[in-house]
Amino acid sequence: MEDVMRLANSGVVWIIATLVLTVVIFQAIKFIMLAAGASKEIGMSRGEVHSALKTGAIAAIGPSFAIIIVAISLIPLLGDPLTLMRIGIIGSAPIESVGATLGAEAYGTELGSSGFNYQAFTTVVWTLCLGGVGWLVFTALATKSMSRVEKKVTNKSEKSKKTMTIITTAAMVAAFGNLASAEMIKGFAYVLVVITSSLTMILFTSLANKHQLNWLREWSLGFSIIAGLFVGYFAL
Amino acid sequence: MGINQERVVNEERSTSAQEAAMENFHGKAHFWGRLTLWSAIILTLSLPVILSFVLGYHPGWSVILAGFIAYASIVAAVWVLEPIMYFPVLGVSGTYISFLTGNIGNMCLPSAAAAQHAVGAEPGTKKGEITATLGIGAASIVNKLFLIPIILGGSVLISTIPENIQRIFPLVLPAIFGGVLAQFAIKKPIYGVIALAVGLLVNLTSLVVYLKMLLCIMLTIVICVLLEKRRAGE
Repeated sequence: MEDVMRLANSGVVWIIATLVLTVVIFQAIKFIMLAAGASKEIGMSRGEVHSALKTGAIAAIGPSFAIIIVAISLIPLLGDPLTLMRIGIIGSAPIESVGATLGAEAYGTELGSSGFNYQAFTTVVWTLCLGGVGWLVFTALATKSMSRVEKKVTNKSEKSKKTMTIITTAAMVAAFGNLASAEMIKGFAYVLVVITSSLTMILFTSLANKHQLNWLREWSLGFSIIAGLFVGYFAL
Repeated sequence: MGINQERVVNEERSTSAQEAAMENFHGKAHFWGRLTLWSAIILTLSLPVILSFVLGYHPGWSVILAGFIAYASIVAAVWVLEPIMYFPVLGVSGTYISFLTGNIGNMCLPSAAAAQHAVGAEPGTKKGEITATLGIGAASIVNKLFLIPIILGGSVLISTIPENIQRIFPLVLPAIFGGVLAQFAIKKPIYGVIALAVGLLVNLTSLVVYLKMLLCIMLTIVICVLLEKRRAGE
């Protein structure tokens, strides 16, 4: 097992993990630049662009912590660089640990056991990397076609454009309705947290609207998360 | 009258200029999106190839296939469903960034929604898409800025956080989802109520997770579209 961890933390794995992370960060910067360029032409102000960037960044702080907590549990099993690479792209930690378990089982051993040798580690890497690439391949191949279909629908008329906005908004609300209710059925503390953070959001948004406080709108999700956690701490 | 006509012409020109700008933006997004995705795919797959054939730890194709099939039987449907399901929300550029950076439900979508909320942009519009791209892009970078030092510093930092604080980490997700749901409920209260009702109903069934999401989105869309149609008819 110790030998395997030496392989898992070796230079080759580090180099590839670093390169993958570089691609992800490069892509984010490139797309921000493209969007900032297009924003002017569709009539967005510089202030709005900054506000969007700031809000996105603030909103990512809470989830990033939650993601890292789960990621930490993978380090003893997969090593630092592979964990970084799997969580840094596509992976969600719970799914990655399922994949790692299945890969080890396919080799006929268990993660962290004495039978977990170089070949077993290689099998786990194959399973995770092939499995994770599925999303990327589909997205790389299909996004252009999906955008063509969407354009066909929206180009038809003003009315179908309006319908498209309704569909998009409904889809977004539905995604969060589903995510929130999946959490709410976990117990009383979870219900309380959802309600608290919803109420905080409503309070801060109406305050921001009333007094024209843009910074409050940018921080409202961050404050809602903190308020939810605060109440949840006592309910747990 | 003359002024009015001029204004109409100007407005038409500006919308067509906006269309052209978006067209141009989408073209670039497709190019860079595909380039970065394929680079990530090749890099990712090069790791097991090197372990197998350069370092000589090949476990045999039948073993690899067994592991892959076991894993794919759980996630293969999600490879296709997720990108399609989220496309109307994320748009072209949002899809490319979100699926490379991962953590869509818990990070990318909330960031996109919060950014749109701050700027006052509707999802599904040009401004909505650009705003979502900016929000998700910033979120992706922040996520990596947190992830890299913490993993490099090992779990040392996390172990210094007291246990009673660590207990509340599972509550981060319901706190995010509750807050974002309320953002929409302020603008479209009825959508929020419908989505939550459908969500609770669907989550009491024993469907697989991704089918729950799909069902929830489809049902909410149908109900909302019918509702708006009835309103427009009245």
